[in-house]
Amino acid sequence: MRTREQLLDSLASELTPVVRPPAPGLLCSTWLVASAAYVVLLTWLLGPIRPVALQQLLTVPRFSLEMLVGTVAACALAALAFRSAVPGSLSRGFAWGALGVLLLWLANFVLGIAIPTLEPSMLGKRDHCYLETFLYALPPLVGALYWQQRLYPMSPRRAAMLAGLAAGMLPALYMQIACMYEPVHILAFHVGPALLVAAVAPLMLLTWQKALAIGD
Amino acid sequence: MSVLQADCKLESMPKQDSSSFSADDARWSRLMASAQSGDEGDYRQLLSELSDVVHRYLAVRLGGYDFVEDCVQEILIAVHQARHTYDARRAFRPWLFAIVRHKAIDAMRRGEARRRLQQVGNDTVERAVAGPDCELGSGQMIAGLPLGLREALTLTKLLGYSSAEAAQQLSISESALKVRVHRAMGKLKRMLEVESV
Repeated sequence: MRTREQLLDSLASELTPVVRPPAPGLLCSTWLVASAAYVVLLTWLLGPIRPVALQQLLTVPRFSLEMLVGTVAACALAALAFRSAVPGSLSRGFAWGALGVLLLWLANFVLGIAIPTLEPSMLGKRDHCYLETFLYALPPLVGALYWQQRLYPMSPRRAAMLAGLAAGMLPALYMQIACMYEPVHILAFHVGPALLVAAVAPLMLLTWQKALAIGD
Repeated sequence: MSVLQADCKLESMPKQDSSSFSADDARWSRLMASAQSGDEGDYRQLLSELSDVVHRYLAVRLGGYDFVEDCVQEILIAVHQARHTYDARRAFRPWLFAIVRHKAIDAMRRGEARRRLQQVGNDTVERAVAGPDCELGSGQMIAGLPLGLREALTLTKLLGYSSAEAAQQLSISESALKVRVHRAMGKLKRMLEVESV
């Protein structure tokens, strides 16, 4: 076991100038805007959007509120994911707040099984919405993981899971507009794959780290 | 009375003069900013000051175990690896102590203390259990845990007993012991988080 003095000497002699990465807030905003634009564009290019979605958004207050809560949850989760990669920048209150908004959004669909926000219908159904939700989330996830690793996540797996949740949330949220509206369908085929992305994210990170270790 | 059975209360943490508190913070912030641009001398000074502060912080809260020194070294390495994430416009302490808390809890979870004591030998473990003059009483935060949790944590994570041995010692089931250890770790983590630094 080396002594503390030896360690201090070794760390000081290894010192190289470092470039500070952008602030987590800026990183998060950039990631959110780029990822949301990518998801919207890809979804629009690869399939039809529910024709009455915009009208429903403007005329059904509960649906507008649902989308608003979902958007807030997506932003809060993204902030959580990036803040968790910088020591001391994440407070317990913020983390609980973000998860609370997410739960509120999910609770709305559970309530929707009994009292749906919109009249359930097959209008706008996309054949592979579950696959789309999962696959569209992967590139944003890779981006978030890349930036997290450039920072210093103290719990890398937890940070990766949060990044997965944030990335999965974006296509899941947009499917509210792009795909058919039916609460059980939403929970199973939009929210389910988003949660799967969160579960897959730590495994992706592990694979990535292993590949990098082999590369070195 | 064994130290393990003593129902110690968590004494209030030593208060530091607030002006010296913020002066330290400002100095560390300046030294880190300078280290980020590659100044070796400032970095050496910063690490040296931090190592003393962190050692004192952990020794007061967790006890003067040998593993505290290991923890301090791990924390210094983490500070080195994370130095690019420090933003000089922000206070230094929240950044530093987020790393300290995480690394300390992580080391306890992994049973660093246990391994260390086992390397030293069983004599150390016996002395630690038996004597009132041993180091066990010195960790204010551990002493602040409820008796049942403290016993479970101390026996398994600090003294190196296996779950089965510790459970037998406390006359409880092994699963009950594991629950207590888990709760003790959680409580310790929360106590470290809640405490203002």
